Amino acid sequence: MQIRRMASGLFILAYLMCLAWGVGAHTLKVGLAGNTTSYFCVWDMFCGWQAYDNRTRIIGEDSSGNYYAVEEPWGAFTPFGNVARVHYDVSNNLIYRHIKNVLDHSQHAGIDRVYVVQEIWPKQFNVPDRLWSHYFHEPKDKTSYYNLRAICDASGMPVESYPDWFNAQTLSGIADNPRLQRAAERATPYYNTFFNPSELKAQRSTFRSSANGLNTN
Amino acid sequence: MKTTTSGTSWFGGLKAFFFAEQSPYGLALVRMFLTSVALVPMIRRFPRVRELFSSDGAPQQLAELFGQGRPLPELPPAFAAALYGVMIFAMICGVFGFRTRMAFLIGTPLYLYFNLLDAVSTMTKYSVMASHMFLMLTLSNCGSVWSIDAILRRWKEGPAATAIPPRFPVWPARLIQILFCFVYFGAAITKIQTQAFFSGEQMRYWMLSNWNYSNPFGEVLAMWRPVLLTCGYITVVWEITFPFLAWRPAGRYFALGVGILFHIMTWITLGLYIFPLICISGYLSFLMEDDIVAIRRFVHRLRIPTSMLGFPRFAIARMIEMRPQSVPSSILWIGLAVLVAVASAEADYRIDVYGIRSNNGPLALRKIDSREALAMINNPKPLREKDKFFSFDIGNMMVGGQLGNRRNTFEFGDTIIAHCNINPPHEDMWVDCAVEDSDGRIVDSSGQYVTREQLFANFNYDAGNKLVPGEYWMVLKSSGQEVARRPFQLTGDPGSLPEMGELMTN
Repeated sequence: MQIRRMASGLFILAYLMCLAWGVGAHTLKVGLAGNTTSYFCVWDMFCGWQAYDNRTRIIGEDSSGNYYAVEEPWGAFTPFGNVARVHYDVSNNLIYRHIKNVLDHSQHAGIDRVYVVQEIWPKQFNVPDRLWSHYFHEPKDKTSYYNLRAICDASGMPVESYPDWFNAQTLSGIADNPRLQRAAERATPYYNTFFNPSELKAQRSTFRSSANGLNTN
Repeated sequence: MKTTTSGTSWFGGLKAFFFAEQSPYGLALVRMFLTSVALVPMIRRFPRVRELFSSDGAPQQLAELFGQGRPLPELPPAFAAALYGVMIFAMICGVFGFRTRMAFLIGTPLYLYFNLLDAVSTMTKYSVMASHMFLMLTLSNCGSVWSIDAILRRWKEGPAATAIPPRFPVWPARLIQILFCFVYFGAAITKIQTQAFFSGEQMRYWMLSNWNYSNPFGEVLAMWRPVLLTCGYITVVWEITFPFLAWRPAGRYFALGVGILFHIMTWITLGLYIFPLICISGYLSFLMEDDIVAIRRFVHRLRIPTSMLGFPRFAIARMIEMRPQSVPSSILWIGLAVLVAVASAEADYRIDVYGIRSNNGPLALRKIDSREALAMINNPKPLREKDKFFSFDIGNMMVGGQLGNRRNTFEFGDTIIAHCNINPPHEDMWVDCAVEDSDGRIVDSSGQYVTREQLFANFNYDAGNKLVPGEYWMVLKSSGQEVARRPFQLTGDPGSLPEMGELMTN
């Protein structure tokens, strides 16, 4: 009985420490990167948000120049509403397996290339028509923006990849500044491969060489 | 909530908090409700086991998102379906409390395994919370009351031996309660660290996201920023104070009551179905012996018939008792699990998710028009100016730095506030706001820089004695292009205002 109580006590302590670690690490942003177990102790629900809605369109091209929608012909799984599973893959980790799975289980001509395209539109166009007419005075002319994210082969292996639309927008907003552009042009990256202070110190402490801290690695 | 204290010391209090012995009625309710709710999304995924969880589909392991490869085995479809069936069977046994410990010992790791296999569409924070609670249920004696196990024990040992409900240390229930404290505290930290939570932007964009189930009320609420802002502050205050109130005699009614309201609101406004139900099921762990007695008395006083609630348990128990007495119930459990596994593998074969057998071959991919395809592939068009703006409204009241009302009639002496919300990411912009009369003549115009981190901008216009009563337009322009315009009417007598200086304009 005593041993059982001690084991329970140890379990309670360990469990509370795990929970405390999760909250502490999340608050201070330390020790969470690349750690799957952190997903079980960090409570960061709804931490991100975007002003634009986002869908993934996948288009296959065969050698004759025909295009196909690379989507499940047997019907996409919609986990939480009416949005297909592939659209929840915001980090594009699933996309390559998804392409392979769809192509492996469907009938089509030989696919040469598969284009992964991000479709974007401002979220105000998700407002239902009855609300739109009440709160917005302009006509509801929704337009989608398309951003090529990757080109893959038929096995889903990426051949080329391009920046995410959100990152591209942010970067272009920053880069659209003549002063910054001039500063970036002036600041040539430089990495000294001839002079190595730590090697110089080591050489001075053990023996002297004629290289005097300079090397050519 | 009363806790028997065995000592006055701090350690004694802690010991009583975790190791006081009570009948696990609260945990039995968690067992029934939580498991039933967690079963809903899992049963929905049963026809898709091959696609989501097997080597013949496209699983996405959680570890891959963290750059840790695929540590879990991805099984052939028949095995995956069989294990999935066993998981569902074990969870159903958990609901009814048939070989409860064994059910959770088998069901919990399988639930975790299948969730970890599909990080995109199965694993969510609610499945993480459910996993924590399943672990506690596994370690607890939640099957000792209101279960088939309890009925079988009563029939075996006689009513006299089981007249007093069994009592066990309360620590598994306490750990579930503490889990909620950490969840809410962590969620509050997240909100504090999230840009634009306290200005209502984050909630508004989530309510318009359509990533969850239908949320028509949320879409209406998204148009009312002051409400979102107020709700945001209330939520954070409640989340932070939850651990300090949850065990107070009166405070817990506030903490849990607001919690239930909060989760119902996430259902209505965000379209979350399973998440609130998982959390509210977990709240049942806060019910202790005294609470159950009080609820029973209350129900009895209302003359609500509750005897039917136990009917399914008794019916199943009677069927179990029909087995040969030489067969232990655990062997029966295992036998049924094997049967379910075989049936699940067969069901997966017959469901034929890819439609290959039912169509005598794979289904064809849908062809799309080359113009449509090329419009998507080769069409990097710049954002329209108007798409950089979410909304443009006019009013005369500010709440939390944002427009608090919408008006289109003003009087002399009013300050007209033109407010625009901007969709990030956007570049540094120059935004103009002009007042035009009904003939389209610009009466006044002013502009300001809207830098890339700004999510909204305000233009204040004093309806002084420069204008005459009539119809006007407030026009928003960005990069010289008109983005939006709102009509307004100026009423009243300009002479009623004190004279302004000659050089003073709006």
